[in-house]
Amino acid sequence: MHTTAVRRRPRRRRFLPYLLLAPALILLVGMVYPFSLGLYYSLTDYWLQFPSRFRFIWLDNYIRLFNTPLFGRALEFTTGYTLVAVTIQVGLGLAVALFLHAHIPGRKVMRALMLMPLMIPPVIAALMWKIMMDSTGAGILNYALSFVGVGPVNWLGYPRGAMISVLVIDTWGNLPFISLVLLGGLQALPNEPYEAARVDGAGPAAMLRYITLPLLLPFIILAVTFRVMDSLRIFDLIYATTAGGPDDATTNLSIMSYRYAFQWYQMGTGVAEAIVLLAMVVASSYVLLRLWHRTAESAAQ
Amino acid sequence: MTSLPLLQRRYAPQRGQRSTITALPLSRRHYLRNAAIVVAAVILIVWTVFPFVWILMTSLKNSADIISAPPKFIFRPTMGNYAALFFGTHRGGYSTTRPDFPLFFVNSVIISTGAVVLSVLASIPAAYALARFSFPLKNSLGFIFMSFRFVPFLAFVIPLYLLYQRVGLYNTHVGLILAYQLITLPFTIWMLRSFFMEVPLEIQEAAQIDGCSWVGILTRVILPLSMPGIAVTVILGFMFCWNAFNYPLMLAGRETFPVTVGAIQFISYDQVLWGQMAAATIVSALPQLLLSLMVQKYIVRGLTMGAVR
Repeated sequence: MHTTAVRRRPRRRRFLPYLLLAPALILLVGMVYPFSLGLYYSLTDYWLQFPSRFRFIWLDNYIRLFNTPLFGRALEFTTGYTLVAVTIQVGLGLAVALFLHAHIPGRKVMRALMLMPLMIPPVIAALMWKIMMDSTGAGILNYALSFVGVGPVNWLGYPRGAMISVLVIDTWGNLPFISLVLLGGLQALPNEPYEAARVDGAGPAAMLRYITLPLLLPFIILAVTFRVMDSLRIFDLIYATTAGGPDDATTNLSIMSYRYAFQWYQMGTGVAEAIVLLAMVVASSYVLLRLWHRTAESAAQ
Repeated sequence: MTSLPLLQRRYAPQRGQRSTITALPLSRRHYLRNAAIVVAAVILIVWTVFPFVWILMTSLKNSADIISAPPKFIFRPTMGNYAALFFGTHRGGYSTTRPDFPLFFVNSVIISTGAVVLSVLASIPAAYALARFSFPLKNSLGFIFMSFRFVPFLAFVIPLYLLYQRVGLYNTHVGLILAYQLITLPFTIWMLRSFFMEVPLEIQEAAQIDGCSWVGILTRVILPLSMPGIAVTVILGFMFCWNAFNYPLMLAGRETFPVTVGAIQFISYDQVLWGQMAAATIVSALPQLLLSLMVQKYIVRGLTMGAVR
């Protein structure tokens, strides 16, 4: 896009944008400084209780992490959870978006209702579900499932159940995001390809497969990108429901990093683990954003 | 062009048109289709709304009704949980351990407002520069601001915690406002940029011909024309701050906890105060639900930082 600006004073104009950006850049330093400090700490043996032990240990924290069995499990849970959660959520989100985009009475109301789980604090959503997932007999979820023949489930009490619970709560809170992004995409699609396909006698399934999905791809990738980043980092929901348990089954890299830093006070190792997570986030965002650019360009043609 | 809504033409089989269930007579096909739609809509609505209904009910139950098995749908509503939450009053065996929830609420308002005001003030000139000027480093600077939306918070918070301990910002409103603007700044810059770019260039050029400087263009053209956009950005930024949990968990203490961290205080090692926790979740979610009604149309745009209109 061509941008015009004040044309009269060329020399001042050259510095003006940076002047305008200055306040934001100063606040940015507020992020860069602690971050570089953290990068440094990740190379040190920083125990909060033993300040005298502080020394520079190069990559020992990272090496130690990769030799910790729990780290392997946390890495596995982080990536596995992200893959499963994003796949399920985007699949369901696409279905909901197509449903809400179809000519259905009351869809505006449904669209508005979907904002409710989306905009409340995730930790509050976690607590709401924690109340419903109570396994003592007072929990409404088990009560409801008893009518369809599912026996009482101790949702947060055993490893597999805790993983599923986290997935269910996460899906409840974030499905609306995906649905609404894809709905926005559906509403922006051009009309002509559908008219052409109708003339050729294509059915609804063929239109969905050969027109809607390819045109919607940039939006799908955008939703996937946001969800992958947030699933890799998911913390508050797990902290409030399982705190990483039972038996460390729902401990991901964020939870483990938090425990290193704020339970065992090994600040260096804690930051090192956060930086491993950062590397994963950067790598996946790089791939996904490139993919997004490519599909957005080809869809524009 | 027909006057039918877009999607009915696209997906829904119409009268006389071939459909996937062609074997059935026409009326039955329609009946089946409508039944499927109703079932799907009911499932979607129950899944979305029922948790709120149930938590609202739980918050109005006394402690005996809450733990009754099977769960009770009909009960005598009580305001006891809310009273305990706000006044710490002792009524019918309610514990008074958490009378500080009003303080948490005020903290949330102070911190969120402070962070949003700070980041919007810094973002207005920055977004103006990114929207209306071309200069070297423009794209990379814009990308850097954007990328902070995705950084794992622990990479900041652990060093920030150590730093705050040292300089005395730990457990202070100022410290939390400074931390919260890490959440809002990337968002406000990108949102305002997308709104500023919507101001037609012709108006700006006309103002330039009339002798407006860049200050005049910003204050007399861009800001007045994007007031609704600024309002939306402020409200959404406030909501994102309200939702924050990770930063205050590590940087706040009992005096500065916001509602999100306050609400998990009802879980302790020996007991969970379900009723008060339910009341606290309702009180914490309520401002969000009211505000989201105001900015309904812009929420997707806000959540994707302006990428999806």
